Amino acid sequence: MTEIQQQSVCGGVNFRSIKDSRFKTVRMSVNFMQPLSEATAAPNAVLPYLLTRTSRRYPDLTKLNGHLAELYGAQLDAYVFKLGDVQVLSIFASGIADKYSLGGEKVSEELSKLLCSVIFDPLFENGMFPKDGFEQERRQLMEKIDAEYNDKRTYAFLRCAGIMCKGEPYGIPRCGTKKDIENLRLENLNKVWSSLIHNAKAEIMVVGDCDPVPVYDEFSAAFHNLGRAEAQDYTNKVVKAAADVKNITEKQNVTQSKLVLGFRTGCAEPDVNVPAAKLMNVLFGGSPNSKLFLNVREKLSLCYYCSSLYDPLKGIIFVQSGVETKNIKSAQTEILKQLDEVKKGNFTDEELNAAKLSICNSYRTIADSPDGLEGWYLSKTFSDPAEDPEEEAEKVRAVTREEVIKAAGKMTLDTVYALEGSGAENK
Amino acid sequence: MNDIKEVRSAHLDDFYYKVKHQSGLTVYIYPKNKNNSTYAVFGTKYGSIDNCFKIAGEKEPHKVPDGIAHYLEHKLFESEDGDAFARYAKTGASANAYTSFYNTCYLFSCTQNVYESLEILLDFVQSPYFTKETVQKEQGIIGQEIKMYDDDPQWCVLFDLLEAMYHNHPVKNDIAGTVASIARITPELLYECYNTFYNLNNMVLCVAGNVDAEKVIAMCDKMLKPSKPIRIDRIFEEEPRHIVRARVEKKLAVASPMFNLGFKEDAGGPMAGVEKVARTDILLEALAGDFTKLYRSLLDKGLINENTFGKEYFEGPGFASVIFGGDSKDPDAAAEEIKKEIERVRREGIDAADFRMAQKSLYGHSVSALNDVGNIANSLAALSLSGRDFFGYIDAIADADIDGVNARLETQLMPEYSSLSVVKPFG
Repeated sequence: MTEIQQQSVCGGVNFRSIKDSRFKTVRMSVNFMQPLSEATAAPNAVLPYLLTRTSRRYPDLTKLNGHLAELYGAQLDAYVFKLGDVQVLSIFASGIADKYSLGGEKVSEELSKLLCSVIFDPLFENGMFPKDGFEQERRQLMEKIDAEYNDKRTYAFLRCAGIMCKGEPYGIPRCGTKKDIENLRLENLNKVWSSLIHNAKAEIMVVGDCDPVPVYDEFSAAFHNLGRAEAQDYTNKVVKAAADVKNITEKQNVTQSKLVLGFRTGCAEPDVNVPAAKLMNVLFGGSPNSKLFLNVREKLSLCYYCSSLYDPLKGIIFVQSGVETKNIKSAQTEILKQLDEVKKGNFTDEELNAAKLSICNSYRTIADSPDGLEGWYLSKTFSDPAEDPEEEAEKVRAVTREEVIKAAGKMTLDTVYALEGSGAENK
Repeated sequence: MNDIKEVRSAHLDDFYYKVKHQSGLTVYIYPKNKNNSTYAVFGTKYGSIDNCFKIAGEKEPHKVPDGIAHYLEHKLFESEDGDAFARYAKTGASANAYTSFYNTCYLFSCTQNVYESLEILLDFVQSPYFTKETVQKEQGIIGQEIKMYDDDPQWCVLFDLLEAMYHNHPVKNDIAGTVASIARITPELLYECYNTFYNLNNMVLCVAGNVDAEKVIAMCDKMLKPSKPIRIDRIFEEEPRHIVRARVEKKLAVASPMFNLGFKEDAGGPMAGVEKVARTDILLEALAGDFTKLYRSLLDKGLINENTFGKEYFEGPGFASVIFGGDSKDPDAAAEEIKKEIERVRREGIDAADFRMAQKSLYGHSVSALNDVGNIANSLAALSLSGRDFFGYIDAIADADIDGVNARLETQLMPEYSSLSVVKPFG
């Protein structure tokens, strides 16, 4: 059965464990949270990748990977993402639960030791991170940005968010720009590391089939050794409404154009109206029964995908679609028309109930995956960190038709971004 | 009478029921009763490669346009009294479908109303309804889907490779077909394919999650319309052993180059069993896993990155190849390095430690994959439609020996049968 425990390790460091034998794995992560800023985004972002590469105990990358392979292909890796205006540096390890190891290895104990070793006891040469490792991780981070450019759907989405939130921390790319990464200096990174472990807020998560007590002890000792003061706090800026509409069109040599619309909803965590905004989003464009899917795709055959996405931390809704260049205008007109329908209350009770069922279904599914649970509780850092998906589902179920109409009524169009293709066939 | 068998894993505490249903359908039920969600897949052995087929007892083979299996998948969601998504909206299930080279699968995931959702799945997949108007309407949507893939560099680099390796085998054709080929699709052709491949003897149902096996079988009893036994022969033109071209290159709107390096294997006979697949997977992991010399050398020379580099055994009816791929500033140099290492290993044999690490890694990944009911149901369907056993793969990984793995190099990874596909930025 599921056992959820939460306790404070020390100032700004929180530990949460979800013990559940439904999983055949364990996953543990340390998530450092920093305010996003142009000056720090890139140096912060390279750090978790640098840390998971080696440690004093495992000074060689290939040997470290071999050790993980011996632990039945366990994973030790990093991930950088945004939660509102906050940059999250996630360092995680995952592997099979002890009872499935063929040779009796204690996988979970070893994973928590490994995590502590890479985070708190990195490898230094002449008082700095090793130069070759730094060069490699800097190159790979730049190539990650290239990969985002190569995926046109992702690229168009990120461009729209960047343009819409220029001047807000949220508008800064999660790992900084390619130029910022190129300009990183090795000699500055010790300070970045030290500041991270001493001052940043941290959420430690342990999910899966393992005893969390030894993991807690391991991390507690490591954080207490630092003699941390209170962690720095961060803020999250919410723009209530768009002042005017920004229209940006960029051209690339692609076959299909991408259209992304950014709306301000005026409603973000911890506002009590967030469940209404979530429901409204699903009704509008968040499922195959939504207004956008049924009209822009099914009725008008304008596109293969047209869907909306709500970020409850920033109170922003993005609508994404891939269309022929000549249809960009008609797709935009139809998207706005469908929003008007929701604003006017032109939806049936069946549509409303379908949206509720769809959200509740996805919330209940979260408990079936360790990644899902980790993501859920991290995203709750800004609102109610103890609220489980079932409680949130209950709130969505209670939302009324009037509240949905009101939530839609507050939506203002902020940015229209089009990535316009030349229309030429590649094949 | 239904024939019910319980199948237990030798290494894990999991089991499933295999039911040969009286209608002709093979049904798998994989209980995971601690889960909130249930995932069901209703699949047919019918994919993009089936553009020419012969039914036992008939004289002439059927030839159909490329992309028709995928088109059929889209159209099956519509029936005379509305579409399947609208019906699922009442149960809260999240539904979808996909077409691969050799299978088409319809699926849903839900946390309540499981049997109602199952009823919808079994009903709509057995109720085709194609008219001139509904078929016409889909051209715009699928046309945009095709164009979306034209801009996807990973998709392009793979299909360019397949065209460079295969002279005749339809695996080289885009799964969705081309704008020209789908324009030739008619309701009559769709019925012709439907009546052939959607015979229950050619299909499989897999349900994994929080379900009662008896209720699943009862729903099958209620909904399944018995099918007459059928034998369908896939007809492929003779595929020469040699490749078409050793190198192909395309320019796209990407920020950095990427590559796929393929090694074509003779695949004229019956499809490989789980042992052969497991041995090949271990070989690839021992050659190019992240703990190997090759991986490290490619990384240190800046020829690959951890984010995108991968390798896979890409095989199905009448085709089998190994593909290495990823982003690379110098695809030709990366390919050379990989080929050099293959030759070294062919001479010297796989290192015993590399073999062990590869085996343990793959075992761990197989165990971890059993967390997820979606993964279980989809793998069960894919393996079953290929005549393979689900737990058999995990057993074959655990029981593999190094000689068997080395022996794979006698017929696979031959430099004379390799092609390199490269995508580069414009300019």
